[in-house]
Amino acid sequence: MSLLRLEALSKKFGDHWALRDIEFSINPGEIVGLMGPNGAGKTTMFNLISGRHRPSSGKVLFADKDITHYKPHEILRLGISRTFQSSRPFAKMSTLENVVAGRIFSKDFHLFTRPSDIETAEQLLELVGIAHKAQMPAGELTLSEQRRLDLARALATQPRLLLLDEVAAGFSPLAVKQAVDLVLRVRERGVTLFIIDHFLTLSLRVSDRLLALDRGEKVAEGSPREVMRNREVIRAYLGMRRKEE
Amino acid sequence: MRKEAVVSKDLKRVHLVQAALLLSFFLLLLLPVLAGYSDYILQVFTHALLLATLALAWNILGSSGAISLGHAAFFGVGAYGSALLSHDLGFSPWFTIPLGGFLATTVALIVGFLCLRLRGAYFALATLAFVEIPKVITDNWDGLTRGSLGLVGLPGLPTLRLGSYSLDISGSPVGSYYFVLCYALVLVLVVTLIFRSNLGLALQAIREEEIAAQAVGIQVQRYRILSLLVSGFFTGIGGALYAHLIRYVEPGLVYGLHFSAIPMIFAICGGRFTILGPALAALILYPLDQFIFHPLVPAGHEFLYGVIIILTILFMPSGFWGHLRKEQLVSIKTGSIE
Repeated sequence: MSLLRLEALSKKFGDHWALRDIEFSINPGEIVGLMGPNGAGKTTMFNLISGRHRPSSGKVLFADKDITHYKPHEILRLGISRTFQSSRPFAKMSTLENVVAGRIFSKDFHLFTRPSDIETAEQLLELVGIAHKAQMPAGELTLSEQRRLDLARALATQPRLLLLDEVAAGFSPLAVKQAVDLVLRVRERGVTLFIIDHFLTLSLRVSDRLLALDRGEKVAEGSPREVMRNREVIRAYLGMRRKEE
Repeated sequence: MRKEAVVSKDLKRVHLVQAALLLSFFLLLLLPVLAGYSDYILQVFTHALLLATLALAWNILGSSGAISLGHAAFFGVGAYGSALLSHDLGFSPWFTIPLGGFLATTVALIVGFLCLRLRGAYFALATLAFVEIPKVITDNWDGLTRGSLGLVGLPGLPTLRLGSYSLDISGSPVGSYYFVLCYALVLVLVVTLIFRSNLGLALQAIREEEIAAQAVGIQVQRYRILSLLVSGFFTGIGGALYAHLIRYVEPGLVYGLHFSAIPMIFAICGGRFTILGPALAALILYPLDQFIFHPLVPAGHEFLYGVIIILTILFMPSGFWGHLRKEQLVSIKTGSIE
């Protein structure tokens, strides 16, 4: 049984197909990279899965349940959480409060924060390695710390499937290495990961499979090795001389 | 060693602020005695307290990041609702004041459906325009509201009796003062509860990063409407209280820009995202206006509010109480105060 299945998923903005007839599925426990040049439709795909946008046609199935027309908070409750291309921390809350917020509103709402909510949040900050910044306003974290916070906050919602949008973009080689470790540790917690990774900083090292998009269409899927050799993928990324085509 | 010195200095400051707060509270409690039972002084402070409650109520919506320029709509509907129900149907004000609040909540629901899809300045302008709707209706529905003439001779608030002790609310300025003080304290409690609970956390998340708020499962629109309803309810209660305290309503008065702008000014000046800031600003600025600026420049004393708002936005965008609190918070959060 696949955890996530996209059936003929399409999204049209005006006359422009942002995504067209995408068929794809992700198995539980997998780490799948989503690659493609700018404008390929990667973030659009995340927006459709998380319910932020409605597809023009096609279906999204999560654990065999049709969630195509679910609202964002319902989808979150079922177990799909996401991060954003640029970090969106609650800047004036403390780092800890950010994670607590992720915990509180995703499942059963309690009027007052329980000690267990705070404990869980602290553990997640520990996991992503910014526990020492727990009391600092999130807006004062460095870029890579904010990325870690995004991850902790998304994990606080207890997802089964986590959609990470450009989690390691702009990271130094050392930070990328740490991000690789982190992603693997997240998988050990039983979370399936779908990672947008334009520059493949992360995907090539951690992904079981890659999905490549170009101009809204699927051009390849398979193991990283296969996909990287695919002619369509090379052309989408690098372009080709006319005589080679 | 140096760090400890800094810590004790911070601690001293926090204690100083807390002491000042406690002192002001006792001054408020003893005000009638301190003011020598002067009717004028008591009336000014009663009105300041009422404006404080309006600022507190405004700030419940304000804490979601929305700026309303139309709270006079709720104030006016609350005032007229309670006035008409008590005057024409003879119900006790104790009953009609909450009803006024609920009428205002109904209006807030309409505003919510019409305007809450809008953000920022667009929402503010829409609320500013919205006030005209209940105002025009009240002004022209002569058969029900007596039109622009208004209603005079409204019943006052009945005397409260507890055993041998009684508080004459409407008959004496002291009674009015203590009654409004009690209501203000209740509202402070309500706002504290909202801000300290996860409702407050949701509103903070929405105002800081709406998209992320949605991504952690906050139903943004639902919380924004809820904050508008609660804010409208207490503003309506404020309007109803006002009507029974001055025992007179008139469209130009209760739907006036005054009751939209003043609570907002106090909230921004005191600190929009703080619990006490809006109320403190009302209790400082309104008496300042009435005792000092009004005698000096009777025609243009309200320029004070213009100046204050400009100074606040330029130099203390989080409001004076927000500014003080922020410094406290930082010292608490960095662990220097335990």
